[in-house]
Amino acid sequence: MSAPAVSGRGLTKQFGATHALDGVDFDVQAAEVHALVGENGAGKSTLVRVLSGVHRPDQGEIAVGGTVRRFNGPRDAIAAGIITIPQELRLVPALSVAENLTLGDPPLRRVAGLNTIDRARMRKTARDELAQLDFAPDPDIRVDRLSFAERQLIAIARALRRQCRVLILDEPTAALETREIERLFAVLARMKRQGTAIIYVSHRLDEIVALADRCTVLRDGRVATTSRRGSFNVTDLVAAMTGSAAAKGEGFFPSPFLGSADQPEQAPRSALLEDAVERPDAIRLRPREVTGLAGLLGSGASGILRRLFGIGGGTSTIRRDGIMRRLASPADAVRAGIGFVPGERRLGLIMNLSARDNILLPSLDRLTRGRGGGIDRARADRLVRELMELLDIRPRNTRLSASAFSGGNQQKIILAKWLAREVGVLLLEEPTQGVDVAAKAQIHRLIRAFAEGGGGVLLRSSDFAELTLVCDAILAVHRGRTTDRLERADGFDEKRLHTAIGA
Amino acid sequence: MTASLKRTLSGQGALIALLALCLITALLTHRFLSPLNLSNILVQSSIMAVIAIGMTFVIVGGGFDLSVGSTVALAGCFAAMTMVQFGLLAGVVAGIATGIAVGLINGVIIAYLGVNPFITTLGTMVLVRGLVYLVTGGAPVGDEQLPAAFLAFGSARFLGIHYLVWVPAILLIVLSWVMAATPYGRRVYATGGNREAAYLSGVPVGRIIASTYVWCGGLAGLAGVMLAARLQSGQPTAGEFYELTAIAAVVLGGASLQGGEGTLYKSIIGVFIMVVLGNSLNLLNVDSYWQRVAIGVVIIAAAAADRLRSRH
Repeated sequence: MSAPAVSGRGLTKQFGATHALDGVDFDVQAAEVHALVGENGAGKSTLVRVLSGVHRPDQGEIAVGGTVRRFNGPRDAIAAGIITIPQELRLVPALSVAENLTLGDPPLRRVAGLNTIDRARMRKTARDELAQLDFAPDPDIRVDRLSFAERQLIAIARALRRQCRVLILDEPTAALETREIERLFAVLARMKRQGTAIIYVSHRLDEIVALADRCTVLRDGRVATTSRRGSFNVTDLVAAMTGSAAAKGEGFFPSPFLGSADQPEQAPRSALLEDAVERPDAIRLRPREVTGLAGLLGSGASGILRRLFGIGGGTSTIRRDGIMRRLASPADAVRAGIGFVPGERRLGLIMNLSARDNILLPSLDRLTRGRGGGIDRARADRLVRELMELLDIRPRNTRLSASAFSGGNQQKIILAKWLAREVGVLLLEEPTQGVDVAAKAQIHRLIRAFAEGGGGVLLRSSDFAELTLVCDAILAVHRGRTTDRLERADGFDEKRLHTAIGA
Repeated sequence: MTASLKRTLSGQGALIALLALCLITALLTHRFLSPLNLSNILVQSSIMAVIAIGMTFVIVGGGFDLSVGSTVALAGCFAAMTMVQFGLLAGVVAGIATGIAVGLINGVIIAYLGVNPFITTLGTMVLVRGLVYLVTGGAPVGDEQLPAAFLAFGSARFLGIHYLVWVPAILLIVLSWVMAATPYGRRVYATGGNREAAYLSGVPVGRIIASTYVWCGGLAGLAGVMLAARLQSGQPTAGEFYELTAIAAVVLGGASLQGGEGTLYKSIIGVFIMVVLGNSLNLLNVDSYWQRVAIGVVIIAAAAADRLRSRH
């Protein structure tokens, strides 16, 4: 076999007292997809950053095509043909598609002795590059007008413009819908055929089983296993990621929750939260019920959550426990006992504030000594400690800033905010996105426990497995209207749901 | 250095810098530690400290206020004019109310119309200074006609400490509590740290942001009254460059211009650094033009040190 496209040998990287990487060997061949999995904090991101020149390893060496190289920064890695597509795309929102694609080396034309940008050629270049990805946007449209999936294609197209020997994708499907994932996979398959080596980091194990030629599992900064296609499946990967203890399956796909159908039929339960005006996407949430919301990007599913939380322009009118409420802002919704967990974690947390400050934020006015007084510190501390215990937020350091927690724990802090406020309704948007399997199972259990305690949940998720696991009913949304309602009692039929959301 | 010592010292860079500055100056000249000089430093710091406290509210809330210098002048002149006509109390109230009014205008424009704070307060800075000259005709207001009690306030002491120094001392204690231990204070930090996330947690971010400018304006108004008492008149040219000194002091104190970080007492330490630096350069007979250069270097160095620390 020829020398690997890129390889790391004995890579070690320490941050303070923690070994983020501890003697990791990793390589990827040309025309190979090598997946990288592991729980949050296992070292995936550090390995990616070392390979892409962002961090220099404390020990170990990197070889590109068999030659040892030292990267003094991302520029060196890019020059060596190692291109990374990060989760947060590095595009310039205010520039056009064509400008973003040719950023750095725009086609030039000499006018009156000066170099000027050849706009016509720039547009043509952009169109040609994107056509290779079966994508044909208007090259003059501003990038911030595109969806995330479309921006990701632009980023990939930009990587392809450079001489790209190794493409590293970090959680590329976290924000994508099924159809967009399929398109991305088709693009990756084509690149692989053309000889590009692909390093693929993801939490979605089913994707990895479907896509990867090899899979390396990292645990605590070391390689737990590396296995070839066909010799790993989802269960093996989970076992390798979590170590043996959690591999017994406790919590990871827990036995299906008992849905409402199994309970003795009670008098028709009144709505916990419902739209007070007639509309095509009206929602009705009942206590002790988790309702799923399925829909493609742009289907209007996210808009429903935002409307019920008083955001997104205008006032919405709802009935909460039978009482009419007008929601003009999130403050109104919080007063009505509604909590919202946004899909982007940076919208759910104030990263530079402590876990404690974040958890208490919606409840501050309930924790004062008398009206207009100071915060009752003892009561606030007790509440925060109890919630961190209940939700198993690690580390149990109430003063640590939110940015220092792992993704899964950050998500739990956001949930803790609303539990502290004792809301009756939770609106959740992709609550387990980018979260490791163990934390995911914990969050699922929490959602169920919240509902069983009498709460109502509206869960927007692009992960069908998650919806079938947690929900009592799933609403399909397509073009701004609810097109179908699937009940757990009838069994959730994936085909029927796909038809209803127009996939 | 052990980890625990490092933790104790981290975030106290401003205090360490202030102590080092005092130590070096004291070694170079015996005049620095004379009671008269120390008392001078306290009085010189007092007015800037009141402004810096208000500025800290704005900067922690994620904003910026360039209009405080002009507000100091307008409030001082209004206070003096009102005082001559209607007496001491009315004058003080008029001065503070002037500042609150300017702050309210800034706050509403920034929080509800979404205009950039830099541009808004640049506008009010020029506008308010214009108003000062319009109202006063460019001449100082007051002089001997001012109430005797007011003139005494500018120089008299209570328990051996100038009244002017008591004002920021009391404000520091009360407002530190407001920032640290009340729902309002925590919401200011949350709004400055991430406005959108705070909004999605039910914080009325518009009202919070506007309120920080009201604090800043009101305290600048109070500082204007204090300055008028010290100068024994309302001076239309007063307060020039105060906004820059105040912002520099707050940043020296470790507040982040991104918002969400900063404490009042550290801002006051920042004020002391600015005042002590000027004082020591004076005592060492450094040319006043070179003093400006030195102060500029210190501000940039402090901000750069902060960046390097946070990058780590």
